[in-house]
Amino acid sequence: MIKKINKLIKSFTLNELRIGLKITVKELVNKKITVQFPEERTPISSRFRGLHALRRYPNGEERCIACKLCEAVCPANAITIESEMRDDGTRRTTQYDIDLFKCIFCGFCEESCPVDAIVETQIFDYVFESRKGSIMTKERLLEVGSQNEKVINQTKLEDAKYK
Amino acid sequence: MTDIEIDINGNIVTAKAGEMLIVVTDRENISVPRFCYHKKLSVVSSCRICLVDVEGAIKPQPACSTPVVQGMKVQTQNVKTKNSQKSVMEFLLINHPLDCPICDQGGECELQDLAVEYGSDVSSFSEGKRIVTDSDIGVLIQTDMTRCIHCTRCVRFGVEIAGIMEMGGTGRGENLKIEPFLEQGIQSELSGNMIDICPVGALTSKPFKYELRSWQMNSISSIARHDLVGSNLFVQSYKGKVKRVVSADNDLVNEIWISDRDRFSYESLTHENRLLKPQIKVQGRWNQVSWEVALDYAIKGLNSHILKHQKADQLGGLVSNTATMEEFYLFKKILTEIGCDNIDYRLNVKNLDNTILLDSNIKLDALEKIDYALIIGTNIRLEQPMINHRLRKATKKGADIDVLNVMVFDFNYSLHTENIIAPNKIAFILAGVLKSIMINDGQELPDYLIAIDVDEIAKNIAYKMLNSDSSVIILGEHIINNVDASTIANLVAKIAKSANSRTLNLSITGNTIAANLVGCVPQNSGMNVNTMLASDMRGFILLDIYPQYNFHHLGAAIKAFEKDDTFVISLNSFKDDIVVGYSDVILPIASIYETSGTHLNINNDMQSYTAAVKAPNEVKPAWKVLKVMADLLELPGFNYEDSTQVLAEISYQSHVIHNHDIKDNLTSYHNGISVIWQNSPYSIDAVLRHSETLQETKIGQMNNAYMNQTSAKTLKVSVGDKYLGVLVIITDTVADDCVFINANQTTNIYGQV
Repeated sequence: MIKKINKLIKSFTLNELRIGLKITVKELVNKKITVQFPEERTPISSRFRGLHALRRYPNGEERCIACKLCEAVCPANAITIESEMRDDGTRRTTQYDIDLFKCIFCGFCEESCPVDAIVETQIFDYVFESRKGSIMTKERLLEVGSQNEKVINQTKLEDAKYK
Repeated sequence: MTDIEIDINGNIVTAKAGEMLIVVTDRENISVPRFCYHKKLSVVSSCRICLVDVEGAIKPQPACSTPVVQGMKVQTQNVKTKNSQKSVMEFLLINHPLDCPICDQGGECELQDLAVEYGSDVSSFSEGKRIVTDSDIGVLIQTDMTRCIHCTRCVRFGVEIAGIMEMGGTGRGENLKIEPFLEQGIQSELSGNMIDICPVGALTSKPFKYELRSWQMNSISSIARHDLVGSNLFVQSYKGKVKRVVSADNDLVNEIWISDRDRFSYESLTHENRLLKPQIKVQGRWNQVSWEVALDYAIKGLNSHILKHQKADQLGGLVSNTATMEEFYLFKKILTEIGCDNIDYRLNVKNLDNTILLDSNIKLDALEKIDYALIIGTNIRLEQPMINHRLRKATKKGADIDVLNVMVFDFNYSLHTENIIAPNKIAFILAGVLKSIMINDGQELPDYLIAIDVDEIAKNIAYKMLNSDSSVIILGEHIINNVDASTIANLVAKIAKSANSRTLNLSITGNTIAANLVGCVPQNSGMNVNTMLASDMRGFILLDIYPQYNFHHLGAAIKAFEKDDTFVISLNSFKDDIVVGYSDVILPIASIYETSGTHLNINNDMQSYTAAVKAPNEVKPAWKVLKVMADLLELPGFNYEDSTQVLAEISYQSHVIHNHDIKDNLTSYHNGISVIWQNSPYSIDAVLRHSETLQETKIGQMNNAYMNQTSAKTLKVSVGDKYLGVLVIITDTVADDCVFINANQTTNIYGQV
C-alpha cells in the first residue's frame, strides 16, 4: 500500500526526470571531454604503434642498410626487401614493401632495427584508395618519415630512457 | 695407433692415441667452438677459442692441439671452460666491427653464433677499434679485412691446398694484417674455397655481395657438371633464381673443396642471352611460338624431310657432352626408334679413326695415395683442378711426378721432371718407355718397338714406373687431336699393363662417361660425326650444340647444317647467332641446376640430382622435350613421368672399345707444325662462357697462341700478330713444331686447323 502511494508521489513530482536532468545540468557546466576529431586529437603514448615510416639521417642519407632483420622477425611476413650494392659501395635496399593488410602492428620490426630506420609513428588515421594502396613502398615510407621526422624524433627520445 | 679410452663430460669414449682432442669431440658430436681449426688444414691453435678443461692441467688446453692420452678427463661444458672461452671471445671482439647487419656472413657466421652464446652485452674495451685497409683481390672474392680475426685459414689454404701462397700475414700483434703479397689478385683456380672456410665475413663472395641473407635461400644438394669429378655442392636459390653455390662434403669425390668454375658458373642462368621461348623459322623469318606449334613444326619437318621418304639414314643426331645421362639415353632411344643410327657426341675429334680409347681405372681418393704419376698432355691444374688437388696431396706425401707436355705450364707442386716434347714425338717417348720396361722384364719385343731409340727421358720414366708400387698414367686433353692419338693411348695402356700401373683418361670431360655408357655413338653401321658432316644429310637433331666452340671441323659443321634442304632442330639454352643461322626450329632447354638428371664421374659414381630451381619462362628440361617429341612421333615406350624412370631403364651398354693397332711406322715422325687448340678452362661449355664474372678473371681472359721462335719463323708471325684469330706470344717454353692455343669465348674459330 505504502509502496503504491510512494510510486504515485514520485510520478506526480517527476522525480526520475529530475534525477536525469541533474546529470544533464551537472555536465552542462562541467569541463567537456569530447574531442572534435579530426580538428582536435587526444594525446597519444610515445609507444603508440601506428603507420610505419623509414627515417633518414639529418644529412639526408637513408638509414636503412638492408640487413633484413625486420623481414626475418616479422611474424606476419608483411615485409619484403630486395637489396643490392649501391654505386658508392654501401648496402642499400632497392625495394622495401610493407603490406599493411598483413601487418599486425606488433612493433618487432622497429625493435629489431639496428639503425632505427623503420619506426612505427603515431599516425593511425590513413586510408587506401585502392587495393594496391595497402602496400607501403620504400618511397611512401620515406615520405612518411621525412614529413614526421620531428615528431618521430621527439617520441623516440621520450621513450629512449625506458629501453 | 692403439685404441684408448678417455672421459669427456663424464662419458667414456674410445679414441686413437695421439689424436687431437677436437677430432674425438667432433666424431662424438660434442660441440667445441673453433675458428682457426679446420679438419682439412694444419693445426696452428692461434684463436684459442677451443680451450677446454683437462683434468690435471692447471690451465685450460686448446682442444685442437691437445693429443688424447689414456685416462684423460675432459670437461667441455664446465665453468672453467666456459669462462676461458668467454674471455677469448672478448679479446676477439675487441677489434671485430659490430657491422653484422651489413655483413654478408651474417646469419652463417661462426663468430656471430659464438658471440650470441658467449659474448657479453657490454664490452669493457672502450678504446678505438683498429681499421684495416682492404686490398682488391680480384673479381671473385670481396675482402673486408677489418673483420678479420687472424685465424689464418685462408693463408693455410693457399699454402696447403691451392699450392700458391697468395695471402699472408704481415706485421705482428695489433698490426698483423692478412693481405695478398702481390697486387695482382688471387690467381688460384680454387680460390672460391676461401669464402667457405673464412669463419667471419672478411672474405665473402663478390658476385653475391649484399644480395641476400643466408637464411632467405633454399639449399638443395646438387652435382657440378663442368668436369669429370662431379663435385658435390649445395645450390642456394631465392625466388626461383640460383643465387649462390657452396661446396658439400664428400671425401670420395671432392672432399670439401670445389673449383671456381663450379662455384661461380650459376651466374649464366640469368644471363640476358638465355633462350626463353620456342622459335620456328617460316619462310626465312623467325617467329616466337608456343611449344605446341614449335613441336608440331619440328615433327612435321622431320616427317616431310626424312620419315616420309624412308630416309632415316640421312638424319643425324649430335649431342654435346654437357647433357645429362637421361638426356643422352632418350636422345639415342628416339633416333634408334625412328631407324636412325647416326648418333655421336665426339664433336671435337679431328679424326675418329685416331681416337683415344682408354679406360680410367683409378678412383679419386686413390690418386692421393700414388707414389708416381706420369702426366701426358694436360695443363692439369687449370683443366682439372680437383684431380690436380689430389695429385698435389700425393706429392706432399712424397710422390714423384713426371710430365710430358708441349709447353711449360704452372704446376702448384714440384715436379720430378718436366719434359717439353713436340706433339709428334710423344708417341716415340712412350714407345721408348714401353721398350725399356719390356727389356727390363725380359719380354720379347714386338716389331714396332725394335727400331725405337730409348732416350734418357724414356729411360728415366721407365725406371720410375718400375720402381713404383702404385703409379698412374694420366692422359690429357691435348692429345685428342695428336697425330698419334690412338697410338699414344694404346701405348699408355700397354705401359700400364706391363708396369702394373693404372690409367686416368682426362681427354674427355663433362658428362662424357655417361654418353659413352648409354652408347651415344654410331649404332650398327651408322655414321660418326665427321662422316655426317661430310655427307649430304637431310636433317639434324642437335642437343645443346654451339658449333663454333664444340666442333673440330667447325666450317664443315656449319656448312652441313646450313644447307637449304637440311632440316635442323636445335635444343639450346642460350641464344647464338650461328645456331639461329642454320636452325629451322630452336627449342629452349633447361640449363644446369634447372633439370634433374645424372652425372657419371671418373669413379663411375652415378650421381643423380634434382632440379634446384624451375627453368625460367617457357624453358623446359631437355628430357621432357625429348619425351614429348617421341610421343608426337608416336614412338612406343616413352611413358616416363620423371627422369628417375628414365634412369632406371638405362643399362650398361658401352660401345665396344676396340683397340687400334699400333702403327708400324713409328720410325718416322709426322712432319709439320701441330696446333693444339684448347678452349680456355672457363670457356669449355656454354654455361661457363656465359658466366660473366668468371670471364673477367685471369683464367677467363686467357686467349693466346704460344709458340717458339722457330715455329713463329716458319709460320711467319711475330709478337702482336694474330694466329687463327688469337694473339701470338712467342716463348721458348713451347716445344718445337707446335702452337698451343688457349682460346676463350671471344674467339670462336674452334678447330679450323
